[in-house]
Amino acid sequence: MADDFALVERSSLGLATVMARKDISAADIGRALGMPMPDGPFESTGVDMSLLGTGPGSWLALCEKPGEDWADGLAAKLDGLASLSDQSGAYVVFRLGGARARRLLQQGVALDLDPEVFPPHRVAVTMIAHIGVILWRCAARDAFDVAIFRSFATSFRQWATATAAHLIEA
Amino acid sequence: MRIPCPYCGERDAQEFVYRGDAAPVRPAGDDGFEDYVYLRDNIAGPMREHWYHAQGCRNWLTVDRDSCSHAISGARLARGGTA
Ligand SMILES: [Zn+2]
Repeated sequence: MADDFALVERSSLGLATVMARKDISAADIGRALGMPMPDGPFESTGVDMSLLGTGPGSWLALCEKPGEDWADGLAAKLDGLASLSDQSGAYVVFRLGGARARRLLQQGVALDLDPEVFPPHRVAVTMIAHIGVILWRCAARDAFDVAIFRSFATSFRQWATATAAHLIEA
Repeated sequence: MRIPCPYCGERDAQEFVYRGDAAPVRPAGDDGFEDYVYLRDNIAGPMREHWYHAQGCRNWLTVDRDSCSHAISGARLARGGTA
Protein backbone atom coordinates (compact mmCIF):
# COMPACT_ATOMS: atom_id res chain seq x y z
CA MET A 1 0.00 0.00 0.00
CA ALA A 2 2.76 2.43 0.98
CA ASP A 3 4.28 2.27 -2.53
CA ASP A 4 0.94 2.81 -4.20
CA PHE A 5 -0.35 5.78 -2.24
CA ALA A 6 1.17 8.15 0.31
CA LEU A 7 -0.88 10.96 1.82
CA VAL A 8 1.17 13.36 3.91
CA GLU A 9 0.15 16.67 5.42
CA ARG A 10 2.55 19.52 4.56
CA SER A 11 2.53 21.28 7.90
CA SER A 12 3.70 24.74 9.01
CA LEU A 13 3.18 26.30 5.58
CA GLY A 14 2.56 30.00 5.14
CA LEU A 15 -0.52 30.54 2.97
CA ALA A 16 -2.17 33.74 1.78
CA THR A 17 -4.65 34.79 -0.87
CA VAL A 18 -3.60 37.62 -3.18
CA MET A 19 -6.28 39.56 -5.06
CA ALA A 20 -5.28 42.18 -7.62
CA ARG A 21 -6.74 45.66 -7.36
CA LYS A 22 -8.67 47.07 -10.31
CA ASP A 23 -6.57 47.43 -13.50
CA ILE A 24 -3.50 45.81 -11.91
CA SER A 25 -2.07 42.99 -14.03
CA ALA A 26 -0.28 39.80 -13.06
CA ALA A 27 2.90 41.31 -14.52
CA ASP A 28 2.59 44.39 -12.26
CA ILE A 29 2.41 42.16 -9.21
CA GLY A 30 5.23 39.98 -10.48
CA ARG A 31 7.49 43.05 -10.78
CA ALA A 32 6.70 44.07 -7.18
CA LEU A 33 7.50 40.58 -5.91
CA GLY A 34 10.52 40.02 -8.16
CA MET A 35 9.23 36.69 -9.44
CA PRO A 36 7.29 35.37 -12.43
CA MET A 37 3.56 35.61 -11.88
CA PRO A 38 1.20 32.99 -13.31
CA ASP A 39 -1.45 34.57 -15.56
CA GLY A 40 -3.66 31.49 -15.64
CA PRO A 41 -4.18 28.25 -13.69
CA PHE A 42 -0.47 27.55 -13.14
CA GLU A 43 2.09 27.56 -10.35
CA SER A 44 5.19 29.72 -10.53
CA THR A 45 8.06 29.35 -8.13
CA GLY A 46 10.22 32.09 -6.64
CA VAL A 47 13.11 31.95 -4.19
CA ASP A 48 11.13 31.11 -1.05
CA MET A 49 7.54 31.21 -2.26
CA SER A 50 5.28 29.82 -4.94
CA LEU A 51 2.14 31.36 -6.39
CA LEU A 52 -0.83 29.40 -7.67
CA GLY A 53 -3.32 30.93 -10.10
CA THR A 54 -6.82 30.36 -8.68
CA GLY A 55 -8.85 32.77 -10.85
CA PRO A 56 -8.50 35.95 -12.91
CA GLY A 57 -6.55 38.35 -10.67
CA SER A 58 -6.41 35.93 -7.74
CA TRP A 59 -3.65 33.68 -6.43
CA LEU A 60 -2.72 31.52 -3.47
CA ALA A 61 0.75 32.29 -2.13
CA LEU A 62 2.55 29.41 -0.45
CA CYS A 63 5.73 29.61 1.62
CA GLU A 64 7.57 26.51 2.83
CA LYS A 65 9.27 28.11 5.83
CA PRO A 66 7.45 31.32 6.73
CA GLY A 67 8.91 33.71 9.25
CA GLU A 68 6.56 35.19 11.82
CA ASP A 69 5.99 38.35 9.76
CA TRP A 70 5.83 36.62 6.37
CA ALA A 71 2.27 37.68 5.48
CA ASP A 72 2.80 41.26 6.71
CA GLY A 73 5.98 41.56 4.64
CA LEU A 74 4.16 40.30 1.57
CA ALA A 75 1.26 42.71 2.16
CA ALA A 76 3.71 45.61 2.39
CA LYS A 77 5.30 44.67 -0.96
CA LEU A 78 1.84 44.56 -2.57
CA ASP A 79 0.57 47.79 -1.06
CA GLY A 80 -1.68 49.53 -3.59
CA LEU A 81 -1.44 46.61 -6.04
CA ALA A 82 -3.28 43.76 -4.37
CA SER A 83 -5.16 42.76 -1.24
CA LEU A 84 -3.56 40.08 0.87
CA SER A 85 -5.26 37.83 3.37
CA ASP A 86 -3.32 35.41 5.59
CA GLN A 87 -4.84 31.92 5.17
CA SER A 88 -2.16 29.88 6.94
CA GLY A 89 -4.73 28.41 9.33
CA ALA A 90 -7.54 28.13 6.80
CA TYR A 91 -6.24 25.32 4.59
CA VAL A 92 -4.62 21.97 5.11
CA VAL A 93 -2.26 21.02 2.26
CA PHE A 94 -1.83 17.32 1.58
CA ARG A 95 0.84 15.83 -0.65
CA LEU A 96 -0.40 12.74 -2.43
CA GLY A 97 2.39 10.64 -3.88
CA GLY A 98 3.03 7.03 -4.83
CA ALA A 99 2.79 5.06 -8.04
CA ARG A 100 -1.03 5.14 -8.09
CA ALA A 101 -1.60 8.68 -6.82
CA ARG A 102 -3.18 9.79 -10.08
CA ARG A 103 -5.35 6.67 -10.23
CA LEU A 104 -6.67 7.54 -6.77
CA LEU A 105 -7.34 11.19 -7.54
CA GLN A 106 -9.00 10.29 -10.79
CA GLN A 107 -11.73 8.55 -8.76
CA GLY A 108 -12.83 11.94 -7.47
CA VAL A 109 -11.65 14.61 -9.89
CA ALA A 110 -13.80 15.23 -12.99
CA LEU A 111 -10.77 16.44 -14.96
CA ASP A 112 -8.22 14.63 -17.09
CA LEU A 113 -5.04 14.40 -14.98
CA ASP A 114 -2.94 12.83 -17.75
CA PRO A 115 0.47 14.58 -17.62
CA GLU A 116 0.01 15.61 -21.27
CA VAL A 117 -2.91 17.87 -20.30
CA PHE A 118 -2.24 18.34 -16.58
CA PRO A 119 1.56 18.68 -16.43
CA PRO A 120 3.70 19.74 -13.44
CA HIS A 121 2.74 23.19 -12.11
CA ARG A 122 -0.75 23.03 -13.60
CA VAL A 123 -3.42 24.14 -11.07
CA ALA A 124 -7.15 23.37 -10.86
CA VAL A 125 -9.71 24.77 -8.46
CA THR A 126 -12.39 22.07 -8.45
CA MET A 127 -14.21 19.51 -6.29
CA ILE A 128 -13.44 16.06 -4.96
CA ALA A 129 -16.40 14.22 -3.41
CA HIS A 130 -18.28 17.53 -3.02
CA ILE A 131 -15.29 19.05 -1.19
CA GLY A 132 -13.79 22.18 -2.74
CA VAL A 133 -10.07 21.73 -3.49
CA ILE A 134 -7.13 23.54 -5.01
CA LEU A 135 -5.16 20.84 -6.79
CA TRP A 136 -1.79 21.07 -8.52
CA ARG A 137 0.79 18.67 -9.89
CA CYS A 138 4.19 18.91 -8.24
CA ALA A 139 7.49 19.28 -10.08
CA ALA A 140 7.92 15.56 -9.45
CA ARG A 141 5.34 14.31 -11.94
CA ASP A 142 3.95 11.53 -9.78
CA ALA A 143 2.95 13.73 -6.84
CA PHE A 144 0.07 16.12 -6.37
CA ASP A 145 -0.67 18.74 -3.74
CA VAL A 146 -4.23 19.35 -2.59
CA ALA A 147 -5.28 22.36 -0.49
CA ILE A 148 -8.53 21.86 1.41
CA PHE A 149 -10.36 24.08 3.87
CA ARG A 150 -9.23 22.85 7.28
CA SER A 151 -12.69 21.81 8.50
CA PHE A 152 -13.03 19.46 5.49
CA ALA A 153 -9.58 17.89 5.86
CA THR A 154 -10.82 14.91 7.90
CA SER A 155 -13.55 14.20 5.34
CA PHE A 156 -11.01 14.37 2.52
CA ARG A 157 -8.67 11.99 4.34
CA GLN A 158 -11.57 9.55 4.86
CA TRP A 159 -12.44 9.73 1.17
CA ALA A 160 -8.80 9.10 0.18
CA THR A 161 -8.40 6.21 2.62
CA ALA A 162 -11.65 4.52 1.58
CA THR A 163 -10.94 4.99 -2.11
CA ALA A 164 -7.39 3.65 -1.75
CA ALA A 165 -8.72 0.56 0.07
CA HIS A 166 -11.24 0.00 -2.71
CA LEU A 167 -8.57 0.28 -5.40
CA ILE A 168 -6.33 -2.22 -3.62
CA GLU A 169 -9.18 -4.75 -3.44
CA ALA A 170 -10.07 -4.23 -7.09
CA MET B 1 -22.95 19.16 -19.84
CA ARG B 2 -19.53 20.79 -19.74
CA ILE B 3 -19.05 24.55 -19.74
CA PRO B 4 -15.86 26.03 -21.22
CA CYS B 5 -14.68 28.45 -18.51
CA PRO B 6 -12.21 30.91 -20.09
CA TYR B 7 -9.96 30.66 -17.02
CA CYS B 8 -10.34 27.05 -15.82
CA GLY B 9 -11.05 25.22 -19.07
CA GLU B 10 -13.93 22.81 -19.67
CA ARG B 11 -15.76 21.92 -16.45
CA ASP B 12 -18.77 19.89 -15.47
CA ALA B 13 -21.97 21.95 -15.05
CA GLN B 14 -22.13 20.71 -11.42
CA GLU B 15 -19.39 23.20 -10.56
CA PHE B 16 -21.60 26.13 -11.61
CA VAL B 17 -24.60 28.00 -10.27
CA TYR B 18 -27.17 28.88 -12.95
CA ARG B 19 -28.55 32.41 -13.05
CA GLY B 20 -30.46 32.33 -16.33
CA ASP B 21 -31.14 34.93 -19.01
CA ALA B 22 -28.36 37.53 -19.18
CA ALA B 23 -30.51 40.09 -21.00
CA PRO B 24 -32.00 42.08 -18.06
CA VAL B 25 -30.17 45.35 -17.41
CA ARG B 26 -30.03 46.88 -13.93
CA PRO B 27 -32.35 49.90 -13.83
CA ALA B 28 -31.01 53.22 -12.60
CA GLY B 29 -33.76 53.74 -10.04
CA ASP B 30 -36.34 51.65 -8.13
CA ASP B 31 -38.68 51.38 -11.11
CA GLY B 32 -38.49 47.89 -12.57
CA PHE B 33 -35.99 46.70 -9.97
CA GLU B 34 -38.12 43.78 -8.82
CA ASP B 35 -38.52 42.56 -12.40
CA TYR B 36 -34.78 42.92 -12.92
CA VAL B 37 -34.01 40.81 -9.85
CA TYR B 38 -36.69 38.13 -10.20
CA LEU B 39 -37.98 37.84 -13.77
CA ARG B 40 -36.02 35.85 -16.31
CA ASP B 41 -37.19 34.64 -19.72
CA ASN B 42 -36.92 30.91 -20.19
CA ILE B 43 -36.10 30.71 -23.88
CA ALA B 44 -36.35 27.51 -25.92
CA GLY B 45 -33.37 27.68 -28.25
CA PRO B 46 -30.27 29.87 -28.46
CA MET B 47 -29.90 32.25 -25.53
CA ARG B 48 -27.30 34.25 -23.64
CA GLU B 49 -27.12 33.38 -19.96
CA HIS B 50 -25.17 33.87 -16.76
CA TRP B 51 -23.38 31.07 -14.90
CA TYR B 52 -21.32 31.44 -11.73
CA HIS B 53 -18.26 29.19 -11.45
CA ALA B 54 -18.74 28.64 -7.71
CA GLN B 55 -16.51 25.56 -7.38
CA GLY B 56 -13.78 26.92 -9.64
CA CYS B 57 -12.44 30.40 -10.30
CA ARG B 58 -15.46 32.05 -8.58
CA ASN B 59 -16.26 34.30 -11.53
CA TRP B 60 -19.47 35.03 -13.39
CA LEU B 61 -19.54 33.88 -16.99
CA THR B 62 -21.71 34.92 -19.92
CA VAL B 63 -22.48 31.79 -21.92
CA ASP B 64 -24.16 31.40 -25.33
CA ARG B 65 -26.11 28.18 -25.15
CA ASP B 66 -28.93 26.51 -27.02
CA SER B 67 -31.32 25.42 -24.28
CA CYS B 68 -32.82 22.73 -26.57
CA SER B 69 -29.62 21.04 -27.74
CA HIS B 70 -27.33 22.21 -24.87
CA ALA B 71 -24.76 23.17 -27.50
CA ILE B 72 -22.52 25.96 -26.19
CA SER B 73 -21.08 28.33 -28.79
CA GLY B 74 -19.14 30.69 -26.49
CA ALA B 75 -18.29 31.65 -22.91
CA ARG B 76 -16.44 34.64 -21.48
CA LEU B 77 -16.06 36.45 -18.17
CA ALA B 78 -19.12 38.57 -17.42
CA ARG B 79 -17.01 41.35 -15.84
CA GLY B 80 -16.84 44.40 -18.05
CA GLY B 81 -20.26 43.85 -19.59
CA THR B 82 -22.33 40.98 -20.93
CA ALA B 83 -21.61 41.39 -24.64
ZN1 LIG C 1 -13.69 29.05 -13.89
